[in-house]
Amino acid sequence: MKRSRLISVAALALGSALALSACSTTAAGGDKTEAAGAKLSFMVFETPALTAKFWDDTIKSAAEKVGGVEVQKVLSTGDRTAYAKQLLASNQLPDLLASINTGQLADLLVPYDEAWLKENFLIPDATAVDGKVYLPPVNSQAIPFVFYNKALFAKAGITAPPKNWAEFMDAVAKLKAAGITPIELAGKEAAWAASYPLVGTITADIIGKDPKWVQKLKKGEAKLTDANVKAALQKNVDLVKAGAYDPQALSVDFATANTNFVTTQKSAMYPMGTWMTGAGYIPADVADQFGVFPWPTDDGSVVVPITVGGTTSVNAKSANVDKAVAFAKQWSTDPKTQGVLVETDGAFPMLKNVKFSEYNAKVSPLFTAAFELATSDKVTRVNAFGQVVNDDALPGGVGDALGAVAQGMFAGADIDAFAKQLDDAWQKGMKG
Amino acid sequence: MSRRSESFRRSLGLAPLAWLAFAMYAVFLVYPLLYSVWQSFTNRSPLRLKPIFVGFDNYTEMFADDRFWMSLKLTLIVTVFVTVVSNVIGLLFAMLLNKNTANYRLMRTLVFIPQVLSGVIVGIIWNSMVTQNGLINVVIRNLGLGQGVGWVGTPELATMVVCIVVSWMTIAFCTVVYTASLQSVPAELYEAARVDGAGAISRFRNVTIPMIAPGVTISVTLCMITSLKLYDVLAVLTGGGPSNSTKSTAFYVIETAFSTNRFGYASAIAIFLLALTAVLSYITSGLLRRREAHL
Repeated sequence: MKRSRLISVAALALGSALALSACSTTAAGGDKTEAAGAKLSFMVFETPALTAKFWDDTIKSAAEKVGGVEVQKVLSTGDRTAYAKQLLASNQLPDLLASINTGQLADLLVPYDEAWLKENFLIPDATAVDGKVYLPPVNSQAIPFVFYNKALFAKAGITAPPKNWAEFMDAVAKLKAAGITPIELAGKEAAWAASYPLVGTITADIIGKDPKWVQKLKKGEAKLTDANVKAALQKNVDLVKAGAYDPQALSVDFATANTNFVTTQKSAMYPMGTWMTGAGYIPADVADQFGVFPWPTDDGSVVVPITVGGTTSVNAKSANVDKAVAFAKQWSTDPKTQGVLVETDGAFPMLKNVKFSEYNAKVSPLFTAAFELATSDKVTRVNAFGQVVNDDALPGGVGDALGAVAQGMFAGADIDAFAKQLDDAWQKGMKG
Repeated sequence: MSRRSESFRRSLGLAPLAWLAFAMYAVFLVYPLLYSVWQSFTNRSPLRLKPIFVGFDNYTEMFADDRFWMSLKLTLIVTVFVTVVSNVIGLLFAMLLNKNTANYRLMRTLVFIPQVLSGVIVGIIWNSMVTQNGLINVVIRNLGLGQGVGWVGTPELATMVVCIVVSWMTIAFCTVVYTASLQSVPAELYEAARVDGAGAISRFRNVTIPMIAPGVTISVTLCMITSLKLYDVLAVLTGGGPSNSTKSTAFYVIETAFSTNRFGYASAIAIFLLALTAVLSYITSGLLRRREAHL
């Protein structure tokens, strides 16, 4: 009897301890043993370019240079910011977070010191939220540029990439007439790629003319039901009506879209981020088969939708903030790490004191063309709508709504309803 | 020592185990549930330190939210389809596989496999079949039947695909439940019915159905609950698209909480879903149990 009671009490104690530990508010990686080095958790994500090996190698390299840290990867799901919030909700926000939307999570993060930013980056405040930088502005991408297949253009009798919207629609018509899918769309990817034509149009037509437009939206001085947004929506509906996309586009995921455009070359144009210029997406040996042009505007003015980003944000509640910041700084400024991002992910480097040759990156002619277009003196560079992580970051949920609206255009053409859908999402997001 | 005191001492010895179970139940179920109920009356956000009490505002907003009703409609369509189809086909499979030889045991194991797969794996498997260049379209093209179909490209087709995929999972569960039920029916009853001149349909109606009634109650109720809380398969298979058409209520809860940072509002929807599930399960299992008694 005594023994059974003892066992029961021991079980109760063990259960209670387990329960209490489950309720503990220690962040992931909070179990820090200084003797064995500070343990840091790092939320990362994998893509065709940013492979598990890339993360392992670069983390190992940065950890060795910082010293006294042990870094454990936490692999994120598709929406990194949403996944970070899930981890936050269970008190497991990692010490370091890769490429999250700092515009949504700024209150939880450590701002980087201005002196370090000015010393190391070409545009130190490119990712600033309310004047503070939570994500080192290490590199940038244009989202979207339009990539095109030179041979399919020639087959359809198109001699040069379109310079304005009218020429773009004309190219769509010619490609369609030649039996070629004019535009590839990863329409199944509701959270991001499905909306890229819409992102391109809004950025080129609205933000290109008024770079403060998103701020006006936030202040209530502009609305997503305004005429300029409806005009952008109408252009996208026109594309669907013109047969610009495969009728099955909404069943096409990112991998299939890449295959259709790069490998089997069924489609002629592909609005996508400039990571496509990296070897992880379009291999260098076939890159010269493709060209690039900006999302067209009515008057032919060139608007480059830029998003500046980096990888390493630091959780302000990390038990090892100093070590985490040191690791983040090392990871962000290592030319070797950034060189891999340039070569495989088509990142445009923005480190201040590093010459391009020092990245030791083998880039394709397509990368060079996109880089020259993005950095030309003759273009207007603006924040890409819905893609940036600075003050112009959209409220949570609006990005999803953009994708849903873009998908909805395949089933209907009610511009007012689409605008209202976006505006509703905006109003809800602003409450969050 | 009296028998009563001996019994008391024995129960006292086991009491800590019962308390342990109760404590775990309280910590892992009751507390989170009550916390969610409290949260549903606040504007809690993961990015705000102190939530503000907002009364019934979240519930009022929910009933006026088109997206919520859209998600509930999808959830109920999937629930009705999956519950009916899974149980009918599950019972059919169980009857076909109700033999106790090695071959049939192997086939029952194969039929059960979808049930042991996680929803994510099921989503990945079916995703590879229904995308533009997926298995089904490749077969259609190779047979010369056209360019294939955008299986998840329209709200109607995507909903149909979701219903089929979820049914594929739950049919396995129903088959196992009905197989167990069928194997517990005494062979003498069928023999007696046969002697009385009952045909196959009559034996099914008058012997099989009444005897497997408890299995029907379990299977129908659990299929219904599984469908009402559906999330993982949808997240992988369709991502809720196109145009939000395959976002279930559970999906909407997740999206509201983690995309728009509105834990309070998401909790209100979650509590509504919990209440709906409880009420529907209670009514369904109550009706089926009453039917069991009649049979």
